[in-house]
Amino acid sequence: MRRLALTLALAATVASAPRGAWAAAALEMAVKAAYLYRFAAFVQWPPGAFNGPGTPAQICIAGDDPFGNVLDQAVKGKKIANHPISIVRLDRVDKAPPCQILFVAPSPRRRVAETLDKVRGSPILTVTDSGADPADRGVIDFVLQDNRVRFRIDGRAAVEGGLAISSKLRRLAIGSGGPP
Amino acid sequence: MTAGARQPMRPRLLPTVGAVIAALVLVVAGLAVAAYNENTFKAQASREAQVQADIVAASVTAALAFDDESAAQEYLDALRANPQVEAAGLYNSAGRLLAGYRREARQALPTRVVNPFSAQSDGHIMVAAPVVQGATRLGSVYIRTDAEPPARRAFRYVAIGLLGVMASLVVVILAGANSVQRQANRALGEANEMLRLQIEQRERAEEALRQSQKMEAMGQLTGGVAHDFNNLLMVASSGLELLDRTQDPRRRETLRQAVRQALDRGADLTRQLLAFSRRSPLKSSVVDLGAQLDGMRVLLDRSLREDIVVRFDIEPGLWPVEVDPVQLEVALLNIAVNARDAMPNGGLITIRARNRPDRAVEGLDGDFVELTVTDTGRGMSAETIHRVFEPFFTTKAVGKGTGLGLSQVYGFTRASGGDARIRSEPGRGAAISLFFPRSTRPLDAPAADAGPPPEVRTPANVTVLLVEDDDAVAHAVGAMLSELGYRYDRAPNATAALERLESGQHVDLVFSDMVMPGAIDGVTLARVIRDRWPDLPVVLTSGFSEAADAAARDGWRLLAKPYRMETLAAELAAARADGPAPRDAAAKS
Repeated sequence: MRRLALTLALAATVASAPRGAWAAAALEMAVKAAYLYRFAAFVQWPPGAFNGPGTPAQICIAGDDPFGNVLDQAVKGKKIANHPISIVRLDRVDKAPPCQILFVAPSPRRRVAETLDKVRGSPILTVTDSGADPADRGVIDFVLQDNRVRFRIDGRAAVEGGLAISSKLRRLAIGSGGPP
Repeated sequence: MTAGARQPMRPRLLPTVGAVIAALVLVVAGLAVAAYNENTFKAQASREAQVQADIVAASVTAALAFDDESAAQEYLDALRANPQVEAAGLYNSAGRLLAGYRREARQALPTRVVNPFSAQSDGHIMVAAPVVQGATRLGSVYIRTDAEPPARRAFRYVAIGLLGVMASLVVVILAGANSVQRQANRALGEANEMLRLQIEQRERAEEALRQSQKMEAMGQLTGGVAHDFNNLLMVASSGLELLDRTQDPRRRETLRQAVRQALDRGADLTRQLLAFSRRSPLKSSVVDLGAQLDGMRVLLDRSLREDIVVRFDIEPGLWPVEVDPVQLEVALLNIAVNARDAMPNGGLITIRARNRPDRAVEGLDGDFVELTVTDTGRGMSAETIHRVFEPFFTTKAVGKGTGLGLSQVYGFTRASGGDARIRSEPGRGAAISLFFPRSTRPLDAPAADAGPPPEVRTPANVTVLLVEDDDAVAHAVGAMLSELGYRYDRAPNATAALERLESGQHVDLVFSDMVMPGAIDGVTLARVIRDRWPDLPVVLTSGFSEAADAAARDGWRLLAKPYRMETLAAELAAARADGPAPRDAAAKS
């Protein structure tokens, strides 16, 4: 865990260093995996979003899992709002799944937008990766900017899902104007 | 400064010590307050740094969580608004520095901060606060502040310095005041000492003046008396020589009377001298003022000059008055001498005596006899009149008057129950009136020597023990005793007299001088005789008026020198007839 943190920190500070493409891609996914979990600290779910005390908070991954073991490592021993975290990988999403965070992996043929449509209005923090079309973007969308992992936030989508996103997080998002 | 003058400085030391202690207490209290303020301030500064760190920590959570260096840097740079913040750093959960802020380039940041802490060192406060979002620990914020800005520190030092200055100022002012007071006291003491010296000098000068005035007066008096005495002695001496040369009984009688008269006048003169030279108590007797004045004609003639005429205007039938005849003579003489001196070119002195019925004099209503002496001299101013009865007041040149004359007049008339008054104007002469209250008592019998000589009886076999140290006097008195028919035995002093008595020698009467050489004087001898031979009569004699007065007050039988043979005979006869001196004589002494 500590090693991972060190790795993440390295990724943040020396992301611009020329490395092998594979190494860079791996680092990028590691950072995104860590962020995925960290978003939870800045988000407040509506009452009833969790099944009950003691039940795990679910981070779901729809589509091809780009994290692999990295995500499991990143959330190991962590909690979201006092709920232990479990990782759930979904093959397909027909209706709103019992997830608190849903990462919709990039996929061709408009599968991302369809998935997002199915969970719209549910108290689920949807996260997408580099949605070129606005329809492909979840509440939070990762963006690679200046070789750094950043994100943008869709405030309307959050409100629709009954999620309260901390202004601290909003301020950090791209297009928010940055910190005051 | 003397040791005595230094003494009062001791209690003044206390306030000074008190002030110094108070000043010290003030300084200590000031320092304590300053220290307390310092602590409070440091605690507050520490809290402020903590709060600052907490605020930053709360702000940078997202930036730290998502490794947004620029956002983190912006948050930290915002600390520039607080001049106290020297450096700040943002550390991730691994303790690595993500972003840092340094006010000055030389400030350093710790390379690694993991756990929260709070520390102070050398005026700096270092605080590390955790960055937490929800339940997630994201990292740490480190802030170092200057606990006390230079301006504030300077102000604090100035305040403490000011306190010290005030304290020392208090001490200096007190010491100054003390010194000033000491100086003032010293000056006062010196002034006082000077005043005392001046008073002493003045008193000495006045004493010397009084003494010289007394000597002057005594000199004048002695001169006058000596002149008179020489005249009297001339008469007596020539009379005795002539007595030896003539056998004519009538001529011898004339000469004898002349000698007798001269001696009587000599006795009068010494009496007056004694009366003048001391303040003897009044020996009042009821007298006829007219007769007294008559007797003074000769005295006045002697005292005044040839160009001064004295006129007597005495109303016949004057009421009797109670006065001391000697003092009356002295008073009249004083007034006359003053009148004489007021008339340097001659003039008239009128002595008038009148009965003044129903007068009010000094609170006394009744009949008075007024004796007025008027002169035609230069008179007196109102101011002089006002002061003329004061002792030592004189208008005469230095050495010419004592200033005691009229004060004697005033004292005498007041003591006689009357009053003295002056009327005068400059250039119009002066009139001094003496008022004496009328006496209701009958006139006293004239003096013994003025009356007919008593019958000289010849006592039979009466032995007188004559105690007299002066051989000449003893011889003369012995002759008189023999002439009177007494047998006498002479003892040269009191001790010898006692030996004679103790030896059992027969003595009928002791006639003793009072002032004698030897261990025992006349009065003591008389007392011893009174105790041991109570039936033996004693007669004392003296030429010293004071001794005679004392003996007379104690009730002893006394004969004043000089005395005539008739008086001696009468006194001795009376002593033998009366027996010993009254009992109370011994008790009184």
